[in-house]
Amino acid sequence: MFSFILRRLGLLLPTFFGITLITFGLIRLIPGDPVEVMVGERTLDPQMHADAMHRLGLDKPIYLQYVDYLHNLATGHLGESLVTKDSVWKEFTTLFPATLELAVMAMLFAAVFGLLAGVIAAIKRGSIFDHGVMGLALTGFSMPIFWWGLILIMFFSVKLGWTPVSGRLDLAFDIAPRTGFMLIDAWLAEAADPSLNAGAFKDALKHLILPAIVLGTIPLAVIARMTRSSMLEVLREDYVRTARAKGLSPARVIFIHTLRNAMIPVLTVMGLQVGTLMGGAVLTETIFSWPGIGKWLIDAISRRDYPVVQNGILMVATLVILVNFIVDILYGIANPRIRHAK
Amino acid sequence: MANVQASPVATAADEVALSYPSPLKEFWQGFSHNKGAVAGLIFMIAIAVSALLAPWLAPYNPIEQYRDAILAPPAWMDGGTSRFLFGTDELGRDLLSRLIHGARLSLLIGLTSVVMAMVPGVILGLIAAFFPKVLGSLIMRLMDIMMALPALLLAVAIVAILGPGLINTMIAIAIVALPAYVRLTRASAMTELNRDYVTASRVAGAGLLRLMFVCVLPNCMAPLIVHATMSFSSAILEAAALGFLGLGVQPPTPEWGTMLASARDYIERAWWVVTLPGVTILLSVLAINLMGDGLRDALDPKLKRAA
Repeated sequence: MFSFILRRLGLLLPTFFGITLITFGLIRLIPGDPVEVMVGERTLDPQMHADAMHRLGLDKPIYLQYVDYLHNLATGHLGESLVTKDSVWKEFTTLFPATLELAVMAMLFAAVFGLLAGVIAAIKRGSIFDHGVMGLALTGFSMPIFWWGLILIMFFSVKLGWTPVSGRLDLAFDIAPRTGFMLIDAWLAEAADPSLNAGAFKDALKHLILPAIVLGTIPLAVIARMTRSSMLEVLREDYVRTARAKGLSPARVIFIHTLRNAMIPVLTVMGLQVGTLMGGAVLTETIFSWPGIGKWLIDAISRRDYPVVQNGILMVATLVILVNFIVDILYGIANPRIRHAK
Repeated sequence: MANVQASPVATAADEVALSYPSPLKEFWQGFSHNKGAVAGLIFMIAIAVSALLAPWLAPYNPIEQYRDAILAPPAWMDGGTSRFLFGTDELGRDLLSRLIHGARLSLLIGLTSVVMAMVPGVILGLIAAFFPKVLGSLIMRLMDIMMALPALLLAVAIVAILGPGLINTMIAIAIVALPAYVRLTRASAMTELNRDYVTASRVAGAGLLRLMFVCVLPNCMAPLIVHATMSFSSAILEAAALGFLGLGVQPPTPEWGTMLASARDYIERAWWVVTLPGVTILLSVLAINLMGDGLRDALDPKLKRAA
């Protein structure tokens, strides 16, 4: 097991360095040199320009600049935002819980309904329900989620007035961030001071529901399809027939004997959806003005805040490869055949 | 032996029974068996025709602003006129004309980026399969790095470098799609390389290029074609997403995603500005994905069970 983890770690490091190369190259590939980019359109005194280049270490050969960049990363210097002057690391850690909260809720929504729909579709194979679920899954898979968000806002927020249009919490509430997860913070605040913060938790939940549905739509479709096909495969196995023949209740056969074995490919697919979630978060957060990483990155691009773009992308990419690494390890724990494969 | 002697009598009947339908006919039988795929094909033909004939089909110039008819509702609604069948947007531009012209852009972006990803992807994949030791593992490591970044985020990063615009959108989407082609080509080429026919042509003295492109590649085409269809639909989605974020095709060019970028402000009073471009994107992507399913059934029975 230990050597398996080491081997996977050996694959992880080159990937990480490759990504640092990309984010390092990002700023250098932008037309015009970084100093001009940072000061904007203004024409700069040549002396000041040279000073700035020297101060930023940009007059060194390119490979030394890369070494400097790696050194900064290793010592935890991710640069500062050109706009807010805050460190990129601080901004990232402040905003990340919002994205995580959204992503977790989206995944929860997708997993619960995807598994349920997939299982029922597989049991009732060929029925109207099965065709309906598969049709809806293909539609969900083809969904432009930024538009889906707009449609849901139009219907549930504007027309019915059930949910708020944007943000994480009503401005009437003033809740100190403790965990960064609005649901937990609101719940804690409500528990601490029921008179002042009455209804804060419900309000936070209402804000979360539409974005989570929008972000979870594509994973939901993928999970439903995968669960169905994996269930159908396992239902054909001899041990399922044996379980039925010895008189176990249908629920037990389906949930204990079949679903558990059908879960392995489904879990892999869920792990792979983390990348999709981070990409989708960019769109979802933009639509719902959700103050998370995705919106932060898009805002940074439109403000030409390059240190944020550069290292923000690095952080997200690192996160995705770490999650994939963990999924790999869990998979190895669950399935010895993978662990011992060359 | 008796069987062999008896066979001449049965030859005629056997030949009829054993004669295979032409590949094209066989393909169509497999494809048309899937009703959804046929529906998708018909829809896409309609979209393609209207894209090709856009200047003649569209009732108006897509960027012409009719200031007297700003946010006019579709013809079938109260207050709608037959002058603008699908209504107009916030600047008084005819929505139907913009959607028809938008089809040109979406199909163009989709086709170009698929070709731009497929050609280098197939070449790199074949190289990786033929030289697995050094070159192959180098290429695959590089692709792993690209795969580690979420597709949309990578596209956004590339556009952030190159700047927004039509050509840069295509380049970004093609780069994002590249690793999947490399992996797919390498995987199917690796299995083909162990087959006897490859050894035979190698022994017969076939050169490297001939082995790559004449012997092996045609046998890897089925999954590649299926994947190309799927990546065509995701290219349309990504182009629309970039346009929506303001990083893709720039206004006033009528691109489906770009049309939605400003629609958010009209959610309360003009549903058609919000709904129609999105429905068009959804239906096109759905149609292509349905076609992809049909192609998979027809071309690659092995893939049928994969989700």
